Amino acid sequence: MRNVLMSGFAAVCLTFAPLAVADDAKVEFNRDVRPILSEHCYACHGPDKGHRKAGLRLDRRDSAVKHGAVFPGDPDASELVMRILSDDAEEMMPPPEAHKELADADKQVLQDWIAQGAEYQLHWAYAPPVRPAAPEVEDQTWVRNPIDAFLLSNLESKGVAPSPEASRRRLIRRLSLDLLGLPPTPEEVRAFEEDADPKAYEKLVDRLLKSPHYGERMAVAWLDLARFTDSVGYHGDQGQRVFPYRDYVIDAFNSDKPFDVFAVEQLAGDLLPDPTPDQLVATCFNRLNMMTREGGAQPGEYLAKYAADRARTVGLTFLGSTFGCAECHDHKYDPISQRDFYTLSAFFADVKQWGVYHDYDYTPNPELKGWSNDHPFPPEIEVQSRYLVERRDDLVRKLAGVLERSPDMGALRNWVPPTAEFLKAHESGWAALKPVAAAGVEELPDDGLVVTDAAKSRAKPKGPEPRFRFQAAAPGWVARIRVELVPDARHGGKVARDGAETAGVNLTATVTGEDKPLGFFLADADLKSPRYFNGDEIPGVLAGWRTSKDHADETQTAVWCLDQPIQLEEGRTLTVEVKSAQAGRVRVSFSPIGIGRDGDPIGDVDPDDRAAVLAAARQGTRVETERARACFARSAAADAESWRAVKELAKEILDCRDGRAFCTIVRAAEPMETRVLPRGDWTDRSGEVVEPEVPRFLPHASVATGRRLTRLDLARWIVADENPLTARVFVNRLWKQLFGSGISAVVEDVGVQGEWPVHPELLDWLAVEFRESGWDVKHVVRLMVESSAYRQDSRGRPELNDLDPNNRWVAFQSPRRLEAEFVRDNALAVAGLLNPDVGGPSAFPYQPAGYYSNLQFPNRDYIASAGALQYRRGVYSHWQRTFPHPMLANFDAPAREECTPARNVANTPQQALTLLNDPSFVEAARTLAGRILAEGAADDGDRIDRIYRLVLGRPVAEAERASLLDYLAASRRTFQADPAAAEKLLSVGQAPAGGDAETAAWAMTCRVVLNLHESITRY
Amino acid sequence: MPTDFDAWRTRLQRRAFLRNSAYGIGSLALAGLLDPTLQRRAGASEPEAGDPGGHWNGVIRPTHFPIKAKRVIHLCMAGGPSQFESLDHKPRLAALDGQPFPESFTRGQQLAQLQNKALIARGPFCGFQRHGESGQMISDLFPHIATIADKIAIVRSMTTEQINHDPAHAFMNSGSILKGRPSMGSWLLYGLGAETDDLPGFVVLTSAGATGLQPVSARQWSAGFLPSKFQGIQFQSKGDAVHYISSPPGVDPIAQQASIAEVNRLNGMLADDRLDSEIQTRIAQYELAFRMQTSVPELTDFSSEPKSVLDMYGVATPGDGSFASNCLMARRLAERGVRMIQLYHRAWDHHGGIERGMTLAARDVDQPCAALVKDLERRGMLDETLIVWGGEFGRTPMGQGTGRDHHILGFSIWLAGGGIKGGVTHGATDELGYRAVEDVVPVHDLHATILALCGIDGNRFTVKFQGLDVRLTGFEPANVVRGLLA
Repeated sequence: MRNVLMSGFAAVCLTFAPLAVADDAKVEFNRDVRPILSEHCYACHGPDKGHRKAGLRLDRRDSAVKHGAVFPGDPDASELVMRILSDDAEEMMPPPEAHKELADADKQVLQDWIAQGAEYQLHWAYAPPVRPAAPEVEDQTWVRNPIDAFLLSNLESKGVAPSPEASRRRLIRRLSLDLLGLPPTPEEVRAFEEDADPKAYEKLVDRLLKSPHYGERMAVAWLDLARFTDSVGYHGDQGQRVFPYRDYVIDAFNSDKPFDVFAVEQLAGDLLPDPTPDQLVATCFNRLNMMTREGGAQPGEYLAKYAADRARTVGLTFLGSTFGCAECHDHKYDPISQRDFYTLSAFFADVKQWGVYHDYDYTPNPELKGWSNDHPFPPEIEVQSRYLVERRDDLVRKLAGVLERSPDMGALRNWVPPTAEFLKAHESGWAALKPVAAAGVEELPDDGLVVTDAAKSRAKPKGPEPRFRFQAAAPGWVARIRVELVPDARHGGKVARDGAETAGVNLTATVTGEDKPLGFFLADADLKSPRYFNGDEIPGVLAGWRTSKDHADETQTAVWCLDQPIQLEEGRTLTVEVKSAQAGRVRVSFSPIGIGRDGDPIGDVDPDDRAAVLAAARQGTRVETERARACFARSAAADAESWRAVKELAKEILDCRDGRAFCTIVRAAEPMETRVLPRGDWTDRSGEVVEPEVPRFLPHASVATGRRLTRLDLARWIVADENPLTARVFVNRLWKQLFGSGISAVVEDVGVQGEWPVHPELLDWLAVEFRESGWDVKHVVRLMVESSAYRQDSRGRPELNDLDPNNRWVAFQSPRRLEAEFVRDNALAVAGLLNPDVGGPSAFPYQPAGYYSNLQFPNRDYIASAGALQYRRGVYSHWQRTFPHPMLANFDAPAREECTPARNVANTPQQALTLLNDPSFVEAARTLAGRILAEGAADDGDRIDRIYRLVLGRPVAEAERASLLDYLAASRRTFQADPAAAEKLLSVGQAPAGGDAETAAWAMTCRVVLNLHESITRY
Repeated sequence: MPTDFDAWRTRLQRRAFLRNSAYGIGSLALAGLLDPTLQRRAGASEPEAGDPGGHWNGVIRPTHFPIKAKRVIHLCMAGGPSQFESLDHKPRLAALDGQPFPESFTRGQQLAQLQNKALIARGPFCGFQRHGESGQMISDLFPHIATIADKIAIVRSMTTEQINHDPAHAFMNSGSILKGRPSMGSWLLYGLGAETDDLPGFVVLTSAGATGLQPVSARQWSAGFLPSKFQGIQFQSKGDAVHYISSPPGVDPIAQQASIAEVNRLNGMLADDRLDSEIQTRIAQYELAFRMQTSVPELTDFSSEPKSVLDMYGVATPGDGSFASNCLMARRLAERGVRMIQLYHRAWDHHGGIERGMTLAARDVDQPCAALVKDLERRGMLDETLIVWGGEFGRTPMGQGTGRDHHILGFSIWLAGGGIKGGVTHGATDELGYRAVEDVVPVHDLHATILALCGIDGNRFTVKFQGLDVRLTGFEPANVVRGLLA
């Protein structure tokens, strides 16, 4: 047993053994000694003064020497050596109860180090990176850029040759998945394979870096750091409105925004002179901490939690440092004092926020008076969303196209004459209904009704609402009903009476002879009080209209669109009853004309439409007739299919909110007091009050003095030349993204407990190159992917297993399982389902029913997105912190409750179950099968080859083809014997069902291929 | 992040690679598929944390202490039940009912919804009686639990650090309010491994009562920074018990088996070409997945349970998502070697209407909890199964309208089974039940005790994360509560 643990330990050591430098006998503190001292000694003899024993620090030479622990040059005189060699439980170090036993090899290193003079070095990550010269190598032909020189120099010193270059088809799939998170099409593969241009590879890299999907791919890792989610995380885990920030991140990578600008905008965009909307949206980064509105939560406690989160996030994201460890006490390993933690968090003390985003009587927040669990999380900004604008425009175009689906001129001929007559009489397209006076409610000359005696107006003595009743008996079409609330002198010149600030309005409409009231599919108002559900505004007023408080003395108008427009026949009456406990004066009209060409439900008839209908009534031109037909399609349920389309499009257009979207952002306020919290206890007010300061242990000459520092100062210091961490941390993470593991493997911690980088010179070269390129991310990505190292084949090299088990020398390209989002994207893409739109609100992929049943405040259902929105890329998936989507979670996507610099890469049965059974993947398989069968390949073998080319970017091997042909034959027999099973399989998902036993057999075959390890792995 | 788990996986993969190279990958993968005995045989002689079939035996080998509890069933009374109407009998509080609560008790302490309110004592609304030979005081709301009084140990002196539901659950489950920390079940799985591969080793079920509902988050059973292999799997009451456990419509078990065999056959060919040891792991996971697809339906099929058992638990309709049904499921999971089973019953947050709410909530859980203890005992499993019953915190001795607010300075839980001494009451609160004053048990000590019963020294059980040695039992050394041990 003991051996087992030891062998496990040995494997770890081997894995993380630093590269030997030329002179193996010379002990180097950073590489050899610090990891031992840090792991075994610093907890009691390190930076944390609160837990330091005997006053001894082994992280500082002066202290170690002063206390006699270390006698430079003389191990035998050094107490440290005596202690580590001792067998006496009282004496030995580390003490047995620490369970930190030193290996013999470690003891030897410490002795050698002391013998050689016990030299200390500044921790590598805190020393300024200096660009090293690229080393000389023997095989110059392999060196495409300095990255190769550094790696090859090491390989040559080990006598290991690099791997050959991968095939073209493997390279294009690798590049596409690495840079876009999407597979190449078979056509792209062939074009690249056939491209004779010596610069074919570089051209490909250029093309991919220019793709808008590059930003989506790069955003995934950044959104993990930014802890970007659609929900606030604590307690009720309500929705928050943040998608414009995601679009900002995607755009930033696509436009290659210099990383220093990117950093400054996110930390302090609001403090820049005349900030643009984009710069304000960027500050959402600082608001993506978890938030609460739980009843009984103590605001002070949560403000402390939010502040701590920001310090942790900034520390990890930009500095690769674990500031979180210093919240309660000095850091045990790194020179981060507890005070540093609070001076860092003090930079964010000006972020306008509430500890509890609610106004409870026991924790009042007058600014949030009247707020509920359904309200958003302010401060917010309303911005233009390019995605929503384009989507709206696209939907409007589609709305125009609905015409083509209803060519029934007979129905049109029935509609045009009465409508033309109507429009002749009513130029605006609206005709007033006749008011019906009642007790306490009087008619007005403009066909309105006004409350003259509120008490008498009630339907019943204690009834809540006056009766506003209107009627129309004229034959003709009715598509929309309009309600106007008119300010009236009798009600103080306001639309609401009796001092009410707003009026809530509902409406029922009936036709004589019909049992049920008329239904509406859409309603909206020109002015309204927003109504919220789960953190977002409910579009339209179908669920009820409440007037706007801010326009109380103006006429306010709402329009209801009939679910089924009616043709009122002679002798039948339309009765509209407006229900409102506060309205003072009401007028009601109807229109035979439906929504406008732009989907607008409220407005008057478009003058051109009016002219067209009038013209059509007297045999107008072709253009006029076409225009009248379009107006007809939007106004009357011409046929079931086109009318369903009109209604859907109208609702989707409404959801686009005219292209406007809200985003949670930072508004600076008077800074709150920041105190050091002893042991992190927010109730302890005894700690020192601190102001913002950058961490003292890092170079900070560039930072202003003599005034209170701001987030902008922090941001500028983070990207200052003197900052040794930021560039290193970023390029290290990029390296991991493209090569499988970081140059320093612990990408979340470049501190003392992190890893001594396996190629320190390369890391520094890249960091300096990054900074000096103007923080050009694409430049560094290009350098990495254009290197010979990157282009190597990914075939494993068993002969290196013992020497370099984790391929840190990069003697071949490391295979990399796709991130969760790209596992799904890949399946959708090869099936031809993927929606390529960039940006916009989150989408809702299929999710098992009932998964949110433990969510409350508010209770909510998960409704899978319909149509093309179902097939949006994974980066746009709705992210619920308390219940992450099971598919994404199974493939290691984090909940993003915390800043997450690195994802796990697990390999679990849950992943197998997901790929096999999740409807998203089953639907992709059956859709892919339909695609394959429709392409008309010569025979089954060719079809299988085509599947491989689509899914894996390569031809199928003979053995694979033979195996799958057998499988296909067996599947055929199964479904031929059971056609009902085929039908069930081919109905999974919302894509049009269809096909027979043959399609089902191919769906099963495609499903097998989508489940292959190769499908979810970039080789 | 190097962990023993990573090292294990690396070694596992490399060994699998050598094994498969020697015998020819395709043939072995196929022979091994769907034949667990072959997997087990392959693993049986491997005295390691994990064997090549993907079985993980845990990092704590041998265990630090003798194992008293092979598994843990945590009955989470989510929302925070009142100790004053369950396990902490306070006659003086009853006497003070309706009077101002003495400020000497409450000054400077954290409150939740009673912030800025006048504090009035609220006496218990139900009686307490002595039960069993031990004479333990249990309220009249729990007549069935009263019948197991001699089997349970009551702790009246629990304290926690978090006064709101969400962080308090996090603290109770992971010993930390920092996100991304592994939950207790994940720690146990990581430390001890699983007794079964055909089911998840850590299973969570939820149910809800009539009032006092609070949300719970999936983070409460997250593996945090540990590999996701160790996460809790929530069984759903609607649809598939485990996400994606059912084959797609139209795909029967035979077709599913054939598909998995084909996937693995082709993956084997890929392994020959790529020499990528991760492929071996993938093959093993597909085998495991299929076994789970077989064993989960067997698990959730209650038809073999006689009516007498259903009646004993008070199960109306098996699998109806009730707490009673979940208790019966807990026993079935325990029988099948699941390491950690957590049952959340969301029903205890009685800020108002506590008389009705708590009566109903007690009725939900009383009979099934007692039945679970008795059923396990009858099957000879109680000795090796640790049961923990309790909320994430307790409730105030002060009233809040018709209810009670959250309270963290003293609350009550009970434990039973593996290694627990029955019939004892441990610790005490002050005369008004405001503060635990005798044998105080902080949450970390409860964790240390649970781990100790499972054979683990919590102070020695660490995983390195972001440079820190993280423990379930927290940064400072935690103490095993000796008074609870048999």
